[in-house]
Amino acid sequence: MPVVWLSLLLLLTVGIEQMEWLFRLLEPDKRQVIYARASFFALLMQHVLVVGIASLLAVIIGVGAAIAVTRPAGRDFLPLVSQLASIGQTFPPVAVLALAVPVLGFGTLPIIVALLLYGLLPIVRNTLAGIGGIEPEMREAARAMGITPGQILRQVELPLAAPVILAGIRTSVTINIATAALGATVGASNLGDPIISGIVNGNTAYIVQGALLIGLLALTVDSAFERLVRQRQLTPAHG
Amino acid sequence: MIELFDVTKRFGHETAVDSISLRVEKGELCALVGTSGCGKSTTLRMINRLIEHDGGEVHLDGQPVRSFDEVALRRRIGYVIQSTGLFPHWTVARNIGLVPRLLKWPKARIRQRVEELMQLLGLPVTEFADKYPRQLSGGQAQRVGVARALAADPDILLMDEPFGALDPITRKTLQHEMGEIQARLHKTIVFVTHDMDEALALADRLVVMHQGRIVQQGKPIELLHDPVNPFVESLLGGMDRGLKEAALIQVSERMLPLGPRLLASERIAYGATLSQALSVMLWHGVDRLTVVDEEDIPIGELSLRRLLGANAA
Ligand SMILES: Nc1ncnc2c1ncn2[C@@H]1O[C@H](COP(=O)(O)OP(=O)(O)OP(=O)(O)O)[C@@H](O)[C@H]1O
Ligand SMILES: [Mg+2]
Repeated sequence: MPVVWLSLLLLLTVGIEQMEWLFRLLEPDKRQVIYARASFFALLMQHVLVVGIASLLAVIIGVGAAIAVTRPAGRDFLPLVSQLASIGQTFPPVAVLALAVPVLGFGTLPIIVALLLYGLLPIVRNTLAGIGGIEPEMREAARAMGITPGQILRQVELPLAAPVILAGIRTSVTINIATAALGATVGASNLGDPIISGIVNGNTAYIVQGALLIGLLALTVDSAFERLVRQRQLTPAHG
Repeated sequence: MIELFDVTKRFGHETAVDSISLRVEKGELCALVGTSGCGKSTTLRMINRLIEHDGGEVHLDGQPVRSFDEVALRRRIGYVIQSTGLFPHWTVARNIGLVPRLLKWPKARIRQRVEELMQLLGLPVTEFADKYPRQLSGGQAQRVGVARALAADPDILLMDEPFGALDPITRKTLQHEMGEIQARLHKTIVFVTHDMDEALALADRLVVMHQGRIVQQGKPIELLHDPVNPFVESLLGGMDRGLKEAALIQVSERMLPLGPRLLASERIAYGATLSQALSVMLWHGVDRLTVVDEEDIPIGELSLRRLLGANAA
């Protein structure tokens, strides 16, 4: 399935200019119906890059933080972090973005920061839930066998929590693919550009083009995650 | 050899284990019994330092457990719990090979050891090695748990209600096998159980605990005959103590050679217990049984009088 979505995405990215007749139906009176300020391929790459960097950082920081506060040394911070993670989720990304601009200026950086902060939350929350959901006997048995704390984390806790953590990353990345479009409002150029431009100029065709590609990108990534989860279920053995 | 000297453990204001002293000789199986919450599991966990004791000393082979590195200590002590604690993301073989792997044994040696243990515990290698814990029955999972505990050939085994969650028939089978394994391997075992028959059948030393203290300890037969107080008496079965004791004695210990008389019609295996023999007599309303060997060949006879033995009038 991911392959199908990916080919569709790529096909559309390079072939959208050929579909002018179709978008003409949508906006018969406009002089231009294909967004042309930048190539769709370049916009797609920008989009993927921004989401990729933000998500990678979010995974490292989010999983790291959740691991840290579930160790004996960091356990004092567990309530704080877990509360932040659930409160933060109710914070609209637009607000994060609006707050980031005065500090970081326009361009790609504020959107990466906003996506990173916003994408952290599901990852932290799910990693905490995954590690916290492991039965206490599991840890006790591991300790009793003489597995060191580091080995317990790597060989027992992370593999057992992996499905839940993976689900958190999946949520985080797919939400961020959609949210990244907001970056266009602060001057980061990505697949949000046609949408914003479409809204400003009243050109529905631009909006549809941006939305279509963002939707396909989200579907591609989401189905890739689903494939990953399913493979893990079939072979739960590594560790 | 495991020794506890005045060992105490408190959780907050509550004293879970209150100054207990205990000595388990090498090769001995010591059963801890007592009502729920009396501190049996806590006592067990202080031996491998899953719980640190607050007072007194715990010694292994004459050395305080605190003098060992705790990880190294646990790798040389087998541990079996009721819920098995098998890792669900590992196969049976991987679960069993865990401690040897931690000890960095060569791969071939680990594989050989795992297969050896699976055989010892009646788990056909081809059928079970690649299964996951969720594919096992309770009894099979518990066998894997015992095999895992034995993997690195530890001298000491700690078992916390290992067969507690099993149905009575599976439990009996595993108890029996445990007895046979112990007769071969001579491990030093501390065994927590709520099943008094299990404790009586397996234990060399029986320790009765109550509210964090040891009330009485000794050979099972000593406790049956001379309980120090009504609590121990009722824990050991009250009026059923006669039958419990009879369950510890084999028919072969009381039978007489075949006499000139006709064979009694009802039979009993020579390895059966006196309580089973008594049950057969009660059931058939007879006072004489023919004792047979494994091939069902008569080798002796047991009369009610002999069964009652020293207690007979
Ligand atoms: N980690 C802990 N924190 C606080 N209290 C504990 C802890 N572990 C045990 N206790 C308390 O210590 C007492 C003894 O518990 P323990 O588990 O040793 O009992 P037990 O004899 O094994 O009981 P059971 O037969 O029900 O397993 C209990 O009152 C229990 O509530
Ligand atoms: Mg217990």
